[in-house]
Amino acid sequence: MIQQTSPEIGGMGHPVKRKEDARFIQGKGNYVDDVHLPGMVFGHVVRSPYGHARLKSINIENAMKIPGALAVITGADLAAAGLAWMPTLFHDKQMVLATGKVLFQAQEVAFCVATEQYAAADMAELVEVEYDELPVLVDPHKALDADAPILREDREEKSNHIFHWEVGDRHETQNAIQSGPVTAKVDAVFQRCHPAPLETCGCVADFNPVTGKLTIWLTSQAPHAHRTLFALVGGIPEQNIRVISPDIGGGFGNKVPIYPGYVCAVVASLKLGRPVKWIETRSENLQSTGFARDYHMTAEIAAERDGTVKALRVKTLADHGAFNAAAQPSKFPAGLFSICTGSYDFPKAFCEVDGVYTNKAPGGIAYRCSFRVTEAAYLIERAMDVLAYELKMDPVALRLKNFIPTDKFPYQCPLGWTYDSGDYPAAMNLALKMAGYEELRKEQAEKREKGELMGIGISSFTEIVGAGPGHTFDIVGIRMFDSCEIRIHPTGKAIARLGTKSQGQGHETTFPQIIAQELGIPQQDIVLEEGDTDTAPYGLGTYASRSTPVAGGATAMAARKIRDKARKIAAHLLEASEEDLDWEPGKFFVKGAPSKAKTIQEIAFAAYTNLPEGMEAGLEAVHYYDPRNLTFPFGTYICVVDIDKGTGEVKVRRFIAVDDCGNIINPMIVEGQIHGGLTEGLAIAFMQLISYDESGNVQGGNFMDYLVPTAVETPHWETGKTCTPSPHHPIGAKGVGESPNVGSPAAFVNAVVDALSHLGVRHIDMPVTPWKVWQILQQNGVS
Amino acid sequence: MAVRIEKTFEVSEPIDKVWALLSDPRKVVSCVPGAKLTETVDDRTFKGAISVKVGPSLTEFKGEVKIVRLDEQAHILELDGKGQDVRGKGGASMKMTGTLQSLETGGTHVVAVTEVNVVGILAQFGGRMMSDVSDVIFKQFTERFQQKLKNPEAEPQAAAEPVNAVSVVGSALGHTIRRALGGSNES
Repeated sequence: MIQQTSPEIGGMGHPVKRKEDARFIQGKGNYVDDVHLPGMVFGHVVRSPYGHARLKSINIENAMKIPGALAVITGADLAAAGLAWMPTLFHDKQMVLATGKVLFQAQEVAFCVATEQYAAADMAELVEVEYDELPVLVDPHKALDADAPILREDREEKSNHIFHWEVGDRHETQNAIQSGPVTAKVDAVFQRCHPAPLETCGCVADFNPVTGKLTIWLTSQAPHAHRTLFALVGGIPEQNIRVISPDIGGGFGNKVPIYPGYVCAVVASLKLGRPVKWIETRSENLQSTGFARDYHMTAEIAAERDGTVKALRVKTLADHGAFNAAAQPSKFPAGLFSICTGSYDFPKAFCEVDGVYTNKAPGGIAYRCSFRVTEAAYLIERAMDVLAYELKMDPVALRLKNFIPTDKFPYQCPLGWTYDSGDYPAAMNLALKMAGYEELRKEQAEKREKGELMGIGISSFTEIVGAGPGHTFDIVGIRMFDSCEIRIHPTGKAIARLGTKSQGQGHETTFPQIIAQELGIPQQDIVLEEGDTDTAPYGLGTYASRSTPVAGGATAMAARKIRDKARKIAAHLLEASEEDLDWEPGKFFVKGAPSKAKTIQEIAFAAYTNLPEGMEAGLEAVHYYDPRNLTFPFGTYICVVDIDKGTGEVKVRRFIAVDDCGNIINPMIVEGQIHGGLTEGLAIAFMQLISYDESGNVQGGNFMDYLVPTAVETPHWETGKTCTPSPHHPIGAKGVGESPNVGSPAAFVNAVVDALSHLGVRHIDMPVTPWKVWQILQQNGVS
Repeated sequence: MAVRIEKTFEVSEPIDKVWALLSDPRKVVSCVPGAKLTETVDDRTFKGAISVKVGPSLTEFKGEVKIVRLDEQAHILELDGKGQDVRGKGGASMKMTGTLQSLETGGTHVVAVTEVNVVGILAQFGGRMMSDVSDVIFKQFTERFQQKLKNPEAEPQAAAEPVNAVSVVGSALGHTIRRALGGSNES
C-alpha cells in the first residue's frame, strides 16, 4: 500500500481541494473564446442542409458584399492547395470542405471570414449553394443492400462497407452455443449520442507572416498529436507550430479529433496574415462533431443449467457515418470492444464487428470511455441479465458464480486481453451490503403482489483503460506513451509539465500530489503546466482514462529519477554513503540516526550551490512512460427504480456505486468523477439520442431535443470503494474517470427491465423514455 | 422530415364559387403568406416562390407547382410542389389534396390534406415547430381565402412579403414556448 504522507505534504490519498477551482468558480478561467488578439477576425462555416447531394455551384458574390467581409474559402480553394481532404485517426480520410458532393447534413461546405463575428454569420447566410439531391442512406442495416446508394465515390472499393474485424474462435464458440443446454440472446442498440461538452469546439489560428510561426489556441485534448498532424498534413515545419490548449470546458472525447473548422481557420490565417477565431455554435457541435456509440449489437451466451457460462458470441454492426473518423488509436477497428467478456470467466468467445458508412456525421469517439468499452460493458451486462431470466436465477447469484476467480489474476481472457488485477466478489459484496439487497428483493416481491412496479438493476463491469502499451496503440505511428518533466527550483519548490491536458479532471491538483508522494515536497509548492506544445514534453493527451495510468506513471518515474539524484546530494551533504541513507517523504536521514537528516528543500538548494565533485548542476528529470499493460478498473453498481404505471416515468430511487480503481490519488476528485460519470450515464440511459429522419435530417441537434441532465433529474449517488492496486503501474493506480459512464447504463436499463420482467420484458433500447415504457405498459394491459 | 397536416374549415359561399377560386393557382397564391407565382409554364404548371423566416434564418423556396388532378365533378384538387431554398439552405416537397363538399346551409366545407417533406434547418426544429408554423400559416390563409371569396378583386395586404412569415413564426414560437411552460395553446 501507499505510505501515508502528512496533510502538509498532501501526497496520495489526501482529499486536497482542487487548485483550479479558484479561478473556475470566479469566472477567471481562460478558454479559447477568451483569447483576443489585435487584428483578429472571425470565421463561420456554411453547412449542408442535405444528407446526400451533389454540389453544383457556390456563389459568393452576395456574401462578399456584407460590410467587413474578407474572404470565403470553398472546397475548390482547398483542393487547389491539396487540402480539401484530411486523414482521420483511423486510416480513412475526411473532407475539410465539400468537393463533389456532401455526405451528411451540417457538413462543412464553405468558410466565411469577416472582421466581426456576426458579419461572418451573415455572410454564411448569403453564400448561395446549388445542390442536386441524391438518395439518402440512413439505416446502417441497409448500407450493404444491392440497391443502397454508394456514398464514398473517392474510395476504390465501391461499397459502403468499411471493415470486418473478428477475434476469438468462431468455430468452437459456435459449437458451444449450439450445444447449450441453456442459451440467452439479446439484440441491443447502443444509440448514437454526443458528449455535448459545456464548451463547444473552436480555435484561434494566428499565422505571423514575419516570423513564419503559426500559433493555434485549440480546444484540444491532445495538443502535441494535433501539432504533429498539422505539420504532416499542412506541410508546415513542426518547430513553427505552437498549439496551446488553454482551459478546456469539458472534452469527453469530443475534443480528440481535428475538425474542418480548425483547418479552415488555419488556412484563413495563412491567407490573410491575421489571427482568425472560429467558435462553434451549440447546434454545430451536436450536429457535426464527433458523436459516440451507434453500435447495433447481438450477444448470445451458452450456459450449463447450473448457470456456469460456456461461451459468448457477439455480432455487431457499427454505424460510422460519412467518414470513419473514429478517434481511436488502437490497432483494432473496433477498439477495445473485445473486452466484451467483461468480468466473467468465459472459456470460449468470439466477437465480430462490421463497420459501414451512412449519411450521418462522422465520429465514433470514445465518449468518456476507452474505445468502445462502454458498448461492450453494456452488452455483456444486459446479456447476463437475460441469461438470468432464462435460468430463473437471481442476477447476483449468476454473476457471483461466473466472476473471474480472484486467484486467476493476471487473467488471460479468451479474446486476448491480460487483466492485471481484480477482486470482483469484494466489490459486489460491498455493493449488496450498502444496498440491503435481500430487503430490496423482499420489498419488490411485496410491491409486485400489489401491482406496483419496482426494479433492481445490477451491473458488475470491468473497464480497460490507459492506452496504452506502445505496441498496441499509436496515433499516426506515434506510440501512446506519455511524459512528465519536473524541475525543482533552488528553494525546493517545483514545476511539472506533462504531455496530457486536463479538461476538468483536476490535473493541477492530482499530479502535484503524486510528486508530493514521491519527493515529499508539499503539493501546494508544485505548479503544474499542460497544453502548450512549446513548453510541455511530448505526450499523446488526455482521454480514455489514460492520464493517471500513463502520465501518472511518467510523473512517478520522473520524481524517482530526481529522488535518485537527491540521494547522491544528500550523501554528499551528510558525508555518508548512499547505502547508509533511509528515505521518508521529505527527507533523507542516516540509518539509525534520524536527526542526521537533509530535507528535500535543503537538497534542492545544494543542487544549485553545493554539489558533489563532477555532478551536473540542477535537480530535474523527464520521463517518457510506455506502460507494460492496460489497467482494468472495475466495480458493481446497483440501481433501484420505481415506475409510474400511469405515465411510464421511471424514478431512480437509489443508486449504489462501488468502484475499484486501485490506489487513489485524491479521494474527493475520484468521488466527483464518479458523480459526473453516473450523471452522464443516467442521461444516456433515459434521455439522449441523436437520430436522423428518412431524409437525413438530424433530430437531436439542439438542446431542445438533446436533453442534458440537471439537478432535478439527478438522484442521490451512494458511493463506496474497494482497492485492488494495479501490479504493473508505478503507483498502483488504474484510472477512474470513465468507469461510472461505462458501468452505469446497464444498471439503469437492467433495473427498468427487472421492474417489467414479470410481463415478459427482456430488453428495452436506450433511451428508456417514459413514452417507450408507457407503450410497453399499454401493450401488457398495465395501467 | 415528413409531416402530414390535415385542416378543415367552412365558408358561407356556395361550392362553385369556392371551387373557382381554389382551382386557380394564380388567384389562390395571394392567400398563401409569403408566396408568389413567378411564371406560368402551362395550364397546370407554375413556378413560384415562398419565404419562411424562422428566427434569424430566412428560407426562400423557389420551385414548381403542378396540378396533378383537377376533378370538377368531385371537387377534388391535387397539387404536387417541389422547391429549393434559393441560397441552398434546404428544400421541400409537398403534396396537397383539397376537397370541397356542399353544406346544407348553402356554404362549403373545405378539407385540405398536406404532406410536406422538408430537408434542412427547418426540419431540425422537429414536428412540433412544423405544425405550429403551419397552424399559423393556415390561419392566415383561411382569413385571406374568405376575404378573397367575398371580394375577388381585393389583393390581400402585402401577400408576397416575407414579413408576414416573421409574425407567423413569432407567434408559432410563442405557442411552443407557452406549451412548454404548461400554458394553454388557444389557436
